[in-house]
Amino acid sequence: MTMHDDSDLELVERDLTALAEPREEDERLRLVLRAQLAAGLRPRVRRRRRQSMRIAFGAALATATAAVIALVVLAGSAGSGGPAAADAAVIHHALTAVTGPANAIVHEKVVGVQNGVPVEAEWWQEISPPYANVVIKGPVGHEGEIGDDGTTSFEYDPRANTITEQQDSSPPTPIDPVSQIRQELAGGQAQVAGRVVIAGASLYKIDLPDGLIAYVDPSNYRPQYLDDPQRNGSVVRLRVATLEYLPMTASNRALLSVTAQHPTARIDTNPTDAAPGK
Amino acid sequence: MVMEVKALADARVTPVHAADPDADLVAAARARPSEFVALYDRYFARVLGYVRVRIRDSATCEDVTSHVFTTALAEIGRFRGQGPFAGWLFQIARNAVYDAQRRRMTESRVVERANLDPTPEERVLERERAEELRALIRRLRPEQQHLLALRYGAGLSFEEIGAIVDAAPATVRVRMHRILEELRRRYPHDDA
Repeated sequence: MTMHDDSDLELVERDLTALAEPREEDERLRLVLRAQLAAGLRPRVRRRRRQSMRIAFGAALATATAAVIALVVLAGSAGSGGPAAADAAVIHHALTAVTGPANAIVHEKVVGVQNGVPVEAEWWQEISPPYANVVIKGPVGHEGEIGDDGTTSFEYDPRANTITEQQDSSPPTPIDPVSQIRQELAGGQAQVAGRVVIAGASLYKIDLPDGLIAYVDPSNYRPQYLDDPQRNGSVVRLRVATLEYLPMTASNRALLSVTAQHPTARIDTNPTDAAPGK
Repeated sequence: MVMEVKALADARVTPVHAADPDADLVAAARARPSEFVALYDRYFARVLGYVRVRIRDSATCEDVTSHVFTTALAEIGRFRGQGPFAGWLFQIARNAVYDAQRRRMTESRVVERANLDPTPEERVLERERAEELRALIRRLRPEQQHLLALRYGAGLSFEEIGAIVDAAPATVRVRMHRILEELRRRYPHDDA
């Protein structure tokens, strides 16, 4: 073992301690939670908007179809043509463009810059149940890789070449951004907000109810960019670098498996992580 | 309501760990859930610190801390007292952190909201430094992450950690040193 100066360890210890340094708002948080606990309430300091993705895919498609029909009917009843009908048609085409074939794998990749840091995310996800998936996302060079096959979740640690497995009773659901766009387009509240030019291309701007904005190509209605609003009011613009549907061949199926992607990795089943009370 | 009354009666007679410094508070909380706030006051800062070592996003830290105490309150009647209350509580925290990390990875959002916003600790640590350190922590084995967060997040002594993980304080000290050595080797700023 290499010997090191103790000051190196002290530096690490100091930085570790700083990570957990108390903050001004801690006392407020303590009092709020305390009051709620004392009152026997379930503490909810912060309620984040988090759209449930546990909608069965078939149900989502049925809803999508109904929503588009409703839009077209409403637009048609107001007269033939006009802006409303045009907008309904744009949403219909956009929805169709992000609806893949059954029994396929959707492969997506988006890239962007957040607070000056390049970020990227890439998904391979089964379109039908059990929605097995592999996701690689995070700041460029520091991405994390996880997966889920319907019964077990996997997390790959490249430095240790280890895959941590954990039994997961909750079924995976569509988690990719295109699925989110699809569900929000299907919800009937998406609105076409005109056309904008991004990187020299004229694109339809579609406001989605959850706050996302999709920019779709008029030639094929595929999303080219997404604006992802942040809690601090800033917006991260993501470019859709890849959107494709892959047939469910044996080789493509391997894309849905973290273990297949890293055949030499050590498997850590990590049984000590069973939660009390679960 | 018969079942509830019986459950409470059972809870009262369940022994707590003989050497547990929280034994009295645990017994009181079992008898009267409103007494749980005393345990909460004792452990709030420690749990929050534990979570912060392992999760960066402030809102998620608050959510996880809230979840830990909610779960502990709901489950206190089932706490068997075979080990110290702190060990039980931090096991809940450990799993809550794991769940939160998984959830964040699988959220449909492409990038976590405000994930890279400056936070107060980054007034002390440069942003990249804090990011890198947490990334290194995440690459440690779960047991190592747990020990590290108990020590530097919850601020527990080797004796307290030893009681939690059922190991001698000297053993904990050796393990901790190895973990720090591992971190030190990977820490990008140490050779500067």
